[in-house]
Amino acid sequence: MDQRVVVTGVGVVSSVAQSVPEFVAALRAGRSGAGPVTLFDTTGFAHAPGCEVVGFDPRRWLGPAAVAGLGRAAQFSASAARMAVADAGLTAAGLLDRRVLVSVGTTDGGSYELDQLVAAEIAGGPGAMPAALVRRVPAGALSVGVARELGLARAHAVTLGTACSAGNYAIGEGLDALRAGEADIALCGGADAMCRRNFTGFYRLGLIAPHSCQPFDVDRQGIVTGEGAGMLVLETEGSARRRGARIYAEVRGFGLTCDAHHQTTPHQDGVARCMRLALADAGVEPGEVDVISAHGTGTKANDRTESRAIHEVFGRRPPRTVGLKSMLGHTMGAASALAGIACVLAIRDQFIPPTINHHRTDPDCALDCVPNRAVSARVRIAQNNGLAFGGNNAVVVFGEHQPEQRPEGR
Amino acid sequence: MDRSVAEGAPVVTAWSAVSPFGIGRDAFTTGVRAGASTARALGGEHGVTPVDEACLVPGFDVRAVLGRNGTRNVDRVSGLALAAARELLPQDTKGTEGTQGSADDAESRDRDDTAVVLATSGTVQEMRDFTRSSLLETRPFYVNPGAVPSGVPNCAAGLVAIWHRLRGPNATITTGRTAGLHALAYARRLLTAGRARQVVVGASEEYSAMRAWLEFHHHAPAPPGVLGEGSALFLLERWTRHSPPPLVAVLGVESQVCLDGDVEEALRRCLLEGLRRHGISPDEVWAASTSHAAGDLGRQERAAVTSLFGEQPLTRVPDLTPIGETGSATGAFQVAAVLSRREPAGEGAGRIAVVTSVDSGGTLGCGLFRLLPSR
Repeated sequence: MDQRVVVTGVGVVSSVAQSVPEFVAALRAGRSGAGPVTLFDTTGFAHAPGCEVVGFDPRRWLGPAAVAGLGRAAQFSASAARMAVADAGLTAAGLLDRRVLVSVGTTDGGSYELDQLVAAEIAGGPGAMPAALVRRVPAGALSVGVARELGLARAHAVTLGTACSAGNYAIGEGLDALRAGEADIALCGGADAMCRRNFTGFYRLGLIAPHSCQPFDVDRQGIVTGEGAGMLVLETEGSARRRGARIYAEVRGFGLTCDAHHQTTPHQDGVARCMRLALADAGVEPGEVDVISAHGTGTKANDRTESRAIHEVFGRRPPRTVGLKSMLGHTMGAASALAGIACVLAIRDQFIPPTINHHRTDPDCALDCVPNRAVSARVRIAQNNGLAFGGNNAVVVFGEHQPEQRPEGR
Repeated sequence: MDRSVAEGAPVVTAWSAVSPFGIGRDAFTTGVRAGASTARALGGEHGVTPVDEACLVPGFDVRAVLGRNGTRNVDRVSGLALAAARELLPQDTKGTEGTQGSADDAESRDRDDTAVVLATSGTVQEMRDFTRSSLLETRPFYVNPGAVPSGVPNCAAGLVAIWHRLRGPNATITTGRTAGLHALAYARRLLTAGRARQVVVGASEEYSAMRAWLEFHHHAPAPPGVLGEGSALFLLERWTRHSPPPLVAVLGVESQVCLDGDVEEALRRCLLEGLRRHGISPDEVWAASTSHAAGDLGRQERAAVTSLFGEQPLTRVPDLTPIGETGSATGAFQVAAVLSRREPAGEGAGRIAVVTSVDSGGTLGCGLFRLLPSR
C-alpha cells in the first residue's frame, strides 16, 4: 500500500542564508542575495549581478576528504545534507541500517571546475589540466558526496541532470521511492555553483537582468543567476512517528511532464498539464491551494507563460503566487529544492514569503505575487513549480501534516 | 508461452543501438557477436588527443545522418540519441521544434503517457568550446547562442521528446558509468508509480577530444583506455496480454556506494541484496555482463561476479571490449549485449541475467533481468 511521505528535516546553503533559521528570517524579511559576481571575471559584460554564496566554509559541515575532494556544487549539496540530517534529529550512525535514497538535481554539476580547466588549457594546453580539478567535474559527486560524507554505503545515490527543475525531480523521486517501499529515508534536493559558462549562456540569450530579478513585474528584465543547495529529509509518516520525529509538512504529490515543444521556451500546455498531474497525485483540488511558489524566473517569456498556465488551471482567482528568485536568484538545480524548503517552512510557520523588487504587476500575469512584504497566512497547501530547458516540468505539492483527517494510505 | 512474466511486470519490448558497429540493432548484434575491435586511428578533426585511436560510430555526422532540417545546433551526444530514437520509434511521429502535432487525440494521449529517461553526461566538448570562446573572443559574450541548450545534460532527452512528441516525464541521469542502471531503475519506477505507460530508456555518450582529455587526467597515472561512443535505447512497458512479445523482464536494480575502495566486497554485497530482494538464488544466474571498468576497478568487479556465479555466465553475453569505454552508455550497451546473446532458441529462457556496473566515483550497481524465450 502506498505510504504517506513527510518532511522531517531541511538544509540550506544560499546567498541569503547558510542555516535554516537564517533562511526563515531572510524569507520573512524579503532579503535580497544579489551582489556583484566575484567567482569569475566579469570584465566585458555590461552588467553581472549574481546571488553568490559568500563566506561559505565547507569545514563547518564536512570532513577533510570532502573539503579536499569535492567541487563547489558537491560541497554545497553535502553541507546542506548534513544540515538536513541534523535538523531531522538523525545521526549518520542512525542511518546506517536504513535504506537511503540520495537524489540530487543539478543543472551544471561540476561546471565551475570545468570552466577553470578550460582556462588552464588555454594557458598550458590540454596536458596542463590539473588532475585534482578534473576529478571534481563529474556530476555524480553531488549525490555520491552526500553518501560518502554520511558514510552511507547502502545508499542508492543518483544525480539528476534535469536542469532548472531538477530539485523538484529529486523530491519527486524521493516521494515515489518511499511510497513504493524502496527506501526508508530519502535525502533529496538540488545543488549548483555559479559559473562563467552558465552566466554567459543566459547573457547571450539576453536573459540576464541588469540589476535585480523582478518576477511578474511589468518592467522585469530577466534572471539574476545564483547558487547554493537545498536538501530535504523525506520519510514515511510511519518512520517519522516511530522515531518521534518532528514533522514539518507532508509531500502530498508530484507531477512530471515534458513540453516536447521547444528547447528553451516554456510552453503553456506542458506547464498546465504538469500542475494538474501534481494536484491529482496529491488529491488536492485547485481551490485548496493556498500559495504557489512559481518558477518565476523574471524573464518576459517564463513569467507570462507560467501565469497563463496558472490561470488555465486555477481559473480567474488563482492563489497567491510568489517568485522566490527575486531574493535567492536563479540557483538552477537548487532552485526548486530551495523553493520547496520555503514552501515547507511557510506551512510550518504559517506565512507567505514575498516577491521582492516588485513595483507594478504585469497585467499579462495578473497574479497576487505578495509584493515586497511577507504576509501571515493560513497555509495548508503549497504548490512548488519547477520548469527547465528541455521542457522538463516538475511540480511538487506540499501540505500541512494532519494525521487525523485522512486514513492511513491513499 | 511467457509464463515467466507476470501481468504488469516491466518488460523490454523493443530496442535499438547506434554504436561503433554502425547504426541499428542488427549492426550491433552482428558486430558484437563477431567481436572484432572497432578501434580506428583518429583523423585530424579532433585535434590533439591523449590517445590516437577511438571507437567511433562510423560516418556519424549529425546532419548527414539526421538530415539538415532542424539539426544545425544538434550536438553529437544528442544526435546519437536522436538516431537511436529514430530506430526505435515509428517514423510518422517526428515533429520539429515549435510545431504543434497534427495527430489525432488517441495518438496524442499515447504520447502524454510516454516518458524518456536518458543516462548521459551531456557534451563536455560543447561546454568547453563555449567557455573557451567566452575567454578568448574580444567580448566575453561572443559565443554561439545556438550552443546554449547543449550546456545542460538534459538537451538530448529534451530533443528526443521534441522530435517524437513524447510529452510524459522526461529525465536525465548523470551518474557516469552507473547511470545506465540508474536510468533503468528510474524508468521502472515511473511505470510502477503509474507516471508513464511506456518509457524510452537508455543512454548516450559521445567521443570528443575534451572527454578524452578529462578521462586521461582523471585516471592518471593509469594508462588510458580506448574510448567509445554511441547510444542504446529500450522501450520499457508493463506487460499485458496485449503487449508486443517481451524480450526481457526488468526485475530490478540494486545500487550502492563503495566507501573504502573494496569494490569487490561492496559489489558482492550489492548483488546478494539484489538477489535476495527478488528471491533469486545465485545458481539461477545464467548470464552475466560486467561493465569492464579499466584497471583494478574492473578486476574487482569481475572478481565479485565470478565469486558468486562462476565464469560460465560471463561467457554467455558478448564482450563489449570491441566498442571501447563508452562511459555513461556502458550500462545500456551491456543490456543490449544481453539481448544480442547467441544461443540456441530457448536456451536460458526463464533464467536470470545480471548486469553489473561500477564507476570510479564510487557508485556501483546491478540490474537483474529475466530472460524470455527468443523468437
